[in-house]
Amino acid sequence: MRELTAVAATLVGATLLTTYAEPETALLLRHLYLVPVIVAALRFGLIGGGMTAATAVLLDAPRVFATIERDGLTQPAAEHLITFVLLIGAGALVGRLAAAAHSQRQRFETLLAVQRALTEEAPLEVALQRVRACLAARLGVGAIGLIVRQDDRVAVAGGGPLVAGSLAAEVLETGRPQFVPDVGGGARPRRAFVAPLLAAGEPIGALAVEREGELTAAERGAIATLAAHCGLALENARLASRQRRFTEELAERIASATATKSAFVAVASHELRTPLTALLGFSELLAKRTFETAEVQRMSDVMNRETERLVRIVDDFLDLSRIERGFELRLSRSRVDVAAAVASAVEVLRRAGSHELVVECEDALPAVDADADALDRILKNLVSNAMKYSPPGTAVRVAARARDGAGVEFSVHDAGRGIPPEALPHVFEPYYRAPGVGSARGAGLGLAVVKSLIDAHGGVIDLESEPGRGTRVTFVIPASLP
Amino acid sequence: MWALEQLWIPRRASVFSDTPVALVVGLGSAWFAAASLANAGWLPSAVVEVVALTATHGALLAVALAWGAADAGVRLPQGSAAITVVLIAAGATAGALHEWGGLALMATPLWLAGLAFRGRLRGLGLGRGNSVRPIVVGGIIGALLGGHLLFSASQTLGYPLRAESWLIVLTRWTYDLGANVISAELFFRGALFNRLQRRWSFGAAAALATALSLIRYVSDPLLPGVVEVVVGALFYITVLGGINCWLLWWSGSLAPGLLSSALFFLAYRLLAVG
Repeated sequence: MRELTAVAATLVGATLLTTYAEPETALLLRHLYLVPVIVAALRFGLIGGGMTAATAVLLDAPRVFATIERDGLTQPAAEHLITFVLLIGAGALVGRLAAAAHSQRQRFETLLAVQRALTEEAPLEVALQRVRACLAARLGVGAIGLIVRQDDRVAVAGGGPLVAGSLAAEVLETGRPQFVPDVGGGARPRRAFVAPLLAAGEPIGALAVEREGELTAAERGAIATLAAHCGLALENARLASRQRRFTEELAERIASATATKSAFVAVASHELRTPLTALLGFSELLAKRTFETAEVQRMSDVMNRETERLVRIVDDFLDLSRIERGFELRLSRSRVDVAAAVASAVEVLRRAGSHELVVECEDALPAVDADADALDRILKNLVSNAMKYSPPGTAVRVAARARDGAGVEFSVHDAGRGIPPEALPHVFEPYYRAPGVGSARGAGLGLAVVKSLIDAHGGVIDLESEPGRGTRVTFVIPASLP
Repeated sequence: MWALEQLWIPRRASVFSDTPVALVVGLGSAWFAAASLANAGWLPSAVVEVVALTATHGALLAVALAWGAADAGVRLPQGSAAITVVLIAAGATAGALHEWGGLALMATPLWLAGLAFRGRLRGLGLGRGNSVRPIVVGGIIGALLGGHLLFSASQTLGYPLRAESWLIVLTRWTYDLGANVISAELFFRGALFNRLQRRWSFGAAAALATALSLIRYVSDPLLPGVVEVVVGALFYITVLGGINCWLLWWSGSLAPGLLSSALFFLAYRLLAVG
């Protein structure tokens, strides 16, 4: 308002000076009109400069026309007319340049503000609201909306849900900006312009603006450029956020792997040390002292059992190592009699005498196409697991039954403490030990190796457990071809 | 927000859709017939003047009413266009018969004001509840432009004021209020510019609407054929047309433009031109 008053006062002042000055002086003083014209052009742009120049011409014209009417088109009068042209030209040109510079500066400031709004990590909807607030404060439009497509959803800021067939949906689909000169229904035309937010040349969203009144081609161009920059900024923010999440996830995984490795090293060294201690102890005793034959026999049995345990642990390590490195397990498959395989595996474990091992095999079971040693390891692993996690004296049931066309279904059922539900998805993972296993020995390899061996046979394994009621492990091995 | 929430159907209607072609052609034919008959000496020239005035302003108003109603989706009372034409014809006839008869032309703006009051002219930017500020701005602009005309014409070109013959001023201004100003503003601003600005930019719409209104005024037989008057008309009609377009664009109402035109033409009628 102060600038407007100053411009008006200068115009009036210049008019008064030129009116009351001597004709020769007035000819020079008319150039004073340039001052308010340029000030208005710098302050109010093209319209301000043009209107001030037009007002100056209107104020000065009667005197010039009177001179022309009186004396004809003299040289001073012609110069005066040229001054009019200069005034309008200067007002328009300076106003246009000032408007362009202002718009350029505003665009850069808006971009900076958008970048700043996206520096803090936030959910997409919050980031969009921030960008929208930035744009709304600077673009000077009536309504502004931002939509961004992410995966299968569309996030919207500044409007209701995106309707299929709307202008914004069209732009999101085609990636081309759209301008509607009037959306209709108002006393004044309401312009709508939607520009795509582009990332790597693809539309990832759209910036929609609406204004009652004019939305010039230059403004639309600026908004389209701004939308492209916003698209890049949003994409960068999205990538940065994704990278941060990935880094955090990676760090979590490394920490978890380190913890697992430490736990594994502790458990494995304990598992290896136990049989080794027994072997070392008994071998030292045998070397230093003389025992009865029966005692020597007992010691050698213990040493044999511990050696077998050691071999089993090392075999498990080797198998798991092969699997983790991406190698397939080598199986030597043949027709294996199921009842004999079950009886053999159970018989070895029955010697421990701690549990009642019940075998329930159907009559006339078909032979399976399996690696006999692998099947033996699977059964021994599952039965010894069942014995390990169920109280002494309870029954462990080992069953086998034919499954039509699918092979033979084996099951090992114990009445032990069971596995907590949250641990069930992880029981087949290597090195995993369910919480609450207490002092039970194990490296967390058994079930992982069992699953790998069953997978290698083309079979399936399933585990059901109810805390306090026991666990049932079921697996199927394909039948042998007749 | 419309761009997100509403279905977008690209505009198909042309600028000239909903034009009452039959009425316009009928009025044009009547004018041509009257002029031909007068040329042959079978009709007095006063009749041709009445027919020409009716045809020009009647056609402009009929088209404006039809376009405005279609654009706003309102229904006009049956035969509104015909009533408007008849009122202008009656006013023109009365004006030709008696020096006070021209006052009858005021029936047209009264009839249109009734339509506007009932909300039937909102497509042309006329209705109830206009805010005062744009009307004041329109009044100031009209007074300034009229004042400038009076000052420059009297000081530069030496045209005297018609202070002593106020009846002539009144009757001619009545013609402006009853036919000239309302037909020009309703058609060139309320209908044409309004339609154009909803399709093009303000600049393009204002330029075309003002250029067409300029043609209408320059080709008006009532405009004295003196060079300085024609040049002055070109200048002032251009400025007035541009400003009135801006007033409608700015306020959404035709009332400020009507007031500025009315005041400017009052200044024009005060000058002893023609």
